[in-house]
Amino acid sequence: MNARDALMRLGASTAEAIAKVLETIGGAPVERGEVTLLPADESPFAVLDVPAVAASVAYVDGVTGGNVLLMTQAGARAIAIAMSKKTGARPPAGASGELSELELSAVAEAANQMMAAAAGATSVVLGQEVEIGPPRTWVFDDAAAAREAFDTTPHATSTTFRVGGEPCRLVQLIPNAFVVRMTRALGEAGEALDAPDGEAVVDRRGLDEALRDIRVRVWAELGRTRVPLARAPGLPAGAVLELDRDAEDPVDLYVNGLRFGSGRLVLTEEGEWALRLLEVAGRGADDRDMEGAVE
Amino acid sequence: MARILVVDDAAFMRKVLSDALMAGGHEVAGEAANGNEALERFPDVRPDLTTLDITMPDKDGLATLRELMTLDPDARVVIVSALGQESKVLEAIKLGARDFVVKPFDAERLLGAVEKALG
Repeated sequence: MNARDALMRLGASTAEAIAKVLETIGGAPVERGEVTLLPADESPFAVLDVPAVAASVAYVDGVTGGNVLLMTQAGARAIAIAMSKKTGARPPAGASGELSELELSAVAEAANQMMAAAAGATSVVLGQEVEIGPPRTWVFDDAAAAREAFDTTPHATSTTFRVGGEPCRLVQLIPNAFVVRMTRALGEAGEALDAPDGEAVVDRRGLDEALRDIRVRVWAELGRTRVPLARAPGLPAGAVLELDRDAEDPVDLYVNGLRFGSGRLVLTEEGEWALRLLEVAGRGADDRDMEGAVE
Repeated sequence: MARILVVDDAAFMRKVLSDALMAGGHEVAGEAANGNEALERFPDVRPDLTTLDITMPDKDGLATLRELMTLDPDARVVIVSALGQESKVLEAIKLGARDFVVKPFDAERLLGAVEKALG
């Protein structure tokens, strides 16, 4: 797994989550293009059909980065109408011309719902909760205004959609740190991370040094089960949930959401729980570095 | 009929929620665009129920819920959140929220959650 693969994976999972929400809102299939990596020296907003409506949602916890959904005014209006129909509300007034405040708010809410779903998908990949910030909307009359509105990042992806016959584009603005975490989370922490153009983004030794002092959350997991979300709030005290492990099975050790190994629970002399490691996941040359990283 | 405080940062969602609640025979006693506004209005409005968004500027839904439950431990709150925020929803339930509705929702689901929360 290199940086390019991680970026493509991130782009694909985000695009899929967004398409699903768009389909739920619109009640019809959504055409989706391929994820493309944008050249580092090219602004994602260099070419823009104006006036363009943009709705952006940033990740605020867990990872940094931004997602910008770009669409035509007609596309934004189509989303606002679909949002209204979906919820049984009267479509916002203003069938042509500039978008009303309420239409822009509907687009922002749609972006919020899409990005929340995308953040959920990214959380699964990273094994860690990813939070999003409130959405913001813009109406750009020229591409220069769009370029100024968003911070530049070393990486960006673009995915096209077609909503109600109107083109729509998702731009993901991705900092290096995000790529590093994504790549590690995808299970290849030992590899040097290469940028899409082949240039090294992060030197491995530098990465380890940078990470060494970061405090990480470590926990042991006895087992898991799944219940419908709707059932969880109604679980009474005394309810018994069966987990997927036998009583004699070792418990898993997690470090920042990644399975690090397994072991046995033991009691210390002070009467506290502790974990005696039996196995470190994929033990090999790279795992010595992993151990060092959590010391 | 219940008196309801609607809390969501999106004007569109406040309108959608208000329209659906009023169509269901409830009174929208107040609206708030973020947690601070909600906490400011809550003592004056004294709603029978509050619908609460999670992702909001200034003070998000969970922080608001914590303070709200301190203000009124019997407050009835229904979380209205986007897909992908399940863990936050569970945290909200632990904090005392009565039910949740996932956006995008239809009016029936919302009204059902409200009725259930009102008990």
